[in-house]
Amino acid sequence: MIITVTPNPAIDKIYWIERLCLEDGEMPVMRATRSYLTAGGKGINVSIFLARLNIETIAMGFIAGETGRALERRVRDEGITTSFIWVEGETRTNVTIVEHGHEARPIQITEQGPMVPPDALKRFIAQYKRALQRARYVFLGGSLPPGVPETFYQELTHLAHARRVPVIVNASGEALTHALSEQPWLVKPDTRQHPLGTPEEILRTGREWIAHGIGAVLVSHDITHDVLITPQGAWDLEARDVQFKNLLGAEDALIAGTLSATAQGASLEEAVRWGMAAATACAESEELVVTDRQRIEQALTKVHVHQL
Amino acid sequence: MKVKELMTRDLTAAEPTMTVRELIELFVRSGLSSVPVVNDEGRIVGIISERDIIEGALPGYFEVLYGITDMNHLSQKLREIENDHIEFYMTPDVVTIEEDEDDLVAADLMIRKNVKSLPVVNRDGIFVGVLRRIDLLKDLL
Repeated sequence: MIITVTPNPAIDKIYWIERLCLEDGEMPVMRATRSYLTAGGKGINVSIFLARLNIETIAMGFIAGETGRALERRVRDEGITTSFIWVEGETRTNVTIVEHGHEARPIQITEQGPMVPPDALKRFIAQYKRALQRARYVFLGGSLPPGVPETFYQELTHLAHARRVPVIVNASGEALTHALSEQPWLVKPDTRQHPLGTPEEILRTGREWIAHGIGAVLVSHDITHDVLITPQGAWDLEARDVQFKNLLGAEDALIAGTLSATAQGASLEEAVRWGMAAATACAESEELVVTDRQRIEQALTKVHVHQL
Repeated sequence: MKVKELMTRDLTAAEPTMTVRELIELFVRSGLSSVPVVNDEGRIVGIISERDIIEGALPGYFEVLYGITDMNHLSQKLREIENDHIEFYMTPDVVTIEEDEDDLVAADLMIRKNVKSLPVVNRDGIFVGVLRRIDLLKDLL
């Protein structure tokens, strides 16, 4: 069983529009050609991917209000076990606008999320410890809602390691920095707001982290490139000739694909290549999650790997 | 069908040391009206419902009164127990079912024990979900 923790989950609403009109003087009314509503957040997306492959998963985090109930129902309908902590307020609704011709650069509007009080944190930790007894892997991902300390992922990694459960962390800023001190099995820094720099700088940072005991580092350095750094070496993975339709969820598909292949016995290098194919299949589809084996295998032919 | 294919995969639960106030907040926010009570290992040690809390505040209420004549009285009694641990009010003898049991066994158990839902445990006795009457009915359509 795989635990995914999404401290600040959301209902994601995605609109596809023909043209974004934001010129001065206009009172823009933009009609969506299509729209899509889904339960979202990094861990939730990873859980959906895994559940569709019949891999048992528990989704954990903090939810609130009517949006929280809608999210919980949607997650459960995917066959995912839910173990959320209820707090006061309202779960986030995040909006993504995809403009025709600019699919690789969607506009995202995200809310802050409900306040998490100390007693809810305490209950989360108790519930997390119980779930750890049955866990093979833990995935920790996404932003922290108000009230959740920056040391949250560090504490969860520590607790998982006490049970010898490997941890994947996909985060940024202080939350990531603290988690690194616990030497997770795989780190995927969220570089959307905190880029690690040029490919050379990514390689240098990744190797420093590996020297400090991190199991492996996976970094996206542009839309179609990822770098994997392990104690055995470093690889550049490139997806070529990708026809972008939707980037939302592609990064989560990369992690979920990697995790599912690892859980089925693949080496990390093979698993990341499979993960990148899953991400490519998602990016080439308007669906947020693509788990069809045939489509991922087709996308695998677009993934090119070379050792650095 | 097996129970694990039908059950609601939700692990929302209370701990024995949760207070009555915290439990009421959980019920309000989640929309649930009863939850299993689990220990640190995830084993079920009881079940607690809204009814248990009302009975905790006003013992004998359901048997004798059949109606509230004074809301202030109930409010005062609730405030008196709001910081108590729920372990004092939960039902400790819980009817559970294993996830690998057949739906027929579950339906029979629900009818015989006159319960609306059954906490589901795995082979090791760990809480893994809840089977509700509606989960069974949904499957029969």
